Amino acid sequence: MTGTILLVEDNELNRDMLIRRLVRAGKEVVSAADGQQALDLMRSEKPAVVLMDMNLPILNGWTACRQARADDTIKHIPIIALTAHASDADRLNALEAGCDDYATKPVDFPGLLIKIEKLTGNC
Amino acid sequence: MTTSSSQSTTLWSDLLLRAMAELRELYNPLEDQLADSQREDFAHLFDGSAKLDEMLQQSAPNRHDLMNVLSAIRGYGEMLREDLATEHAELDSALTRLLKGIQAANSGGDTSEPASATQRTITTEPGFILAVDDLQENRELVARYLSRSGHIVVTAAGGEEALRSLDQADVDVVLLDLVMPDMDGREVLRRIKEHPEWRATPVIIISGRQDMDGIIECIEAGADDYLFKPFNPVLLQARIKAGIERKRWHDREQLYRQQLERNEKFILATFGRYLSDEIVTDILERPEGLELGGDLRRVTIMMSDIRGFTSLSEQLEPAQVVSLINRYLAAMTDIIMAYHGTIDEFIGDAILAVFGAPQYRDDDADRATQCALEMQAAMEEINRLNREDGLPEITTGIALNTGDVIAGNIGSERRSKYGFVGHAMNVTSRIEDVTAGGEILIADSTLQSLNNQYRTGDSRELKVKGIDELLQVHQILESDR
Repeated sequence: MTGTILLVEDNELNRDMLIRRLVRAGKEVVSAADGQQALDLMRSEKPAVVLMDMNLPILNGWTACRQARADDTIKHIPIIALTAHASDADRLNALEAGCDDYATKPVDFPGLLIKIEKLTGNC
Repeated sequence: MTTSSSQSTTLWSDLLLRAMAELRELYNPLEDQLADSQREDFAHLFDGSAKLDEMLQQSAPNRHDLMNVLSAIRGYGEMLREDLATEHAELDSALTRLLKGIQAANSGGDTSEPASATQRTITTEPGFILAVDDLQENRELVARYLSRSGHIVVTAAGGEEALRSLDQADVDVVLLDLVMPDMDGREVLRRIKEHPEWRATPVIIISGRQDMDGIIECIEAGADDYLFKPFNPVLLQARIKAGIERKRWHDREQLYRQQLERNEKFILATFGRYLSDEIVTDILERPEGLELGGDLRRVTIMMSDIRGFTSLSEQLEPAQVVSLINRYLAAMTDIIMAYHGTIDEFIGDAILAVFGAPQYRDDDADRATQCALEMQAAMEEINRLNREDGLPEITTGIALNTGDVIAGNIGSERRSKYGFVGHAMNVTSRIEDVTAGGEILIADSTLQSLNNQYRTGDSRELKVKGIDELLQVHQILESDR
């Protein structure tokens, strides 16, 4: 059992889809629509893994990531960046901000599941 | 922005929207058999599709938003395929195509911003578009897309209405829905292609489903292009542009051909076969055409005659006479045309030609003289051929005179030709009368007009009716050059 997944995505269409799919795959999901909400939920819910879009309102994904890494209570929680950008620079940006892995949109779901399992140590 | 990236945008979005249209059609009859969650998945999928459609209409959709929509479509598509593929093969194949479209979008969009690809605006000169569709919302959609890029769009709800519009306006491109209640798109197409004035108007067939057979039938019947509903606006614009260009090209070509035909008909009727190709080409190439209203001009007139031809012809068979005279005239014609003379008339064995009309040149008299010399020189070969054929040898006399004539279309409305009148014509005829076989006689006026030196022989004086003083004529032996 993976534990709770925190999905941070401001795009409703994509967020709903991912929640639906994750639930169908037997996951427990909480979701946030901006970077600040994400940090709050990380602190309160202690999710097993975070799937985070990088282009977020209020607090963008990169900043949220950095803040999470600076917070001792949550810095251990793995974060997978979800990004529409696929260039090497974009990947590096996400990793530099403290993300553990990344997935490019449109998301390859089975691939994402494997990444989740890896990071939560179930694989 | 590269062309390949715009092409890939067009391709993947076309693929995607087509697959989506197919899914919608497949979904309707299946709806009742599906589980709630599957119906919801479908609803989300269609939401995503609507969103995508909306985005593709924007000049520069945000890549991030685009990828989110594609991601959602992919997610729902994959979920539905997992659930339904085994039971519904057609759904599976449509979903597979949908997912391939997304894959294509993804691979095509990796290295370049797809935003730049879709922001590609198709610029074209505005055209007059007739959109024929029985569904009001489709007509409005097309009108909206196309009027935004400056086209004038008229719509018709059915075949009869479409044909009426075609009758009233000069339509550049017809967008034709294939399936309509009153008159089928195929029938409208057939009528367009049968109509002498409409047949060149490009027709783009719009088919609501993947009716490949219908499309093929239409293309065989003369349709120029096709689009599947719902169409990608960029693709629609591109096809409209191509259609307008085809139509414009056709119109220009038509106009040009008509002009050319008119010109050629006129020139041919006017000059017949008496002008050299060069002069005809020259006249055809002059944009303002040639003034033929009858003008006074200075020309050098040539008259030639076979000596003693009348008595000669009495001793020969008619067929022999014709072959003798044709050989002679054919050779003379070639030479005269080579020197840019205008042959005015053949009168029996006599040739009347003019140098300096319809076009004046500085060396008219010289060309006439050189022409006469070459004509005489050619007699040797003509006589050799005559001997071979058992025909008698012949000699010709050539007279030249330079003077003012009136050149123009002479005759009645029923029969007219470009011709010459004036005293100088009569004078030439008078000189010709006294020219011996093998001789070239030129009037003093011609001699005065020559730029080059020629060897002259005897000079004579002639009495010409209508002139008091005697006319001086000179024998030309050969060019000094």
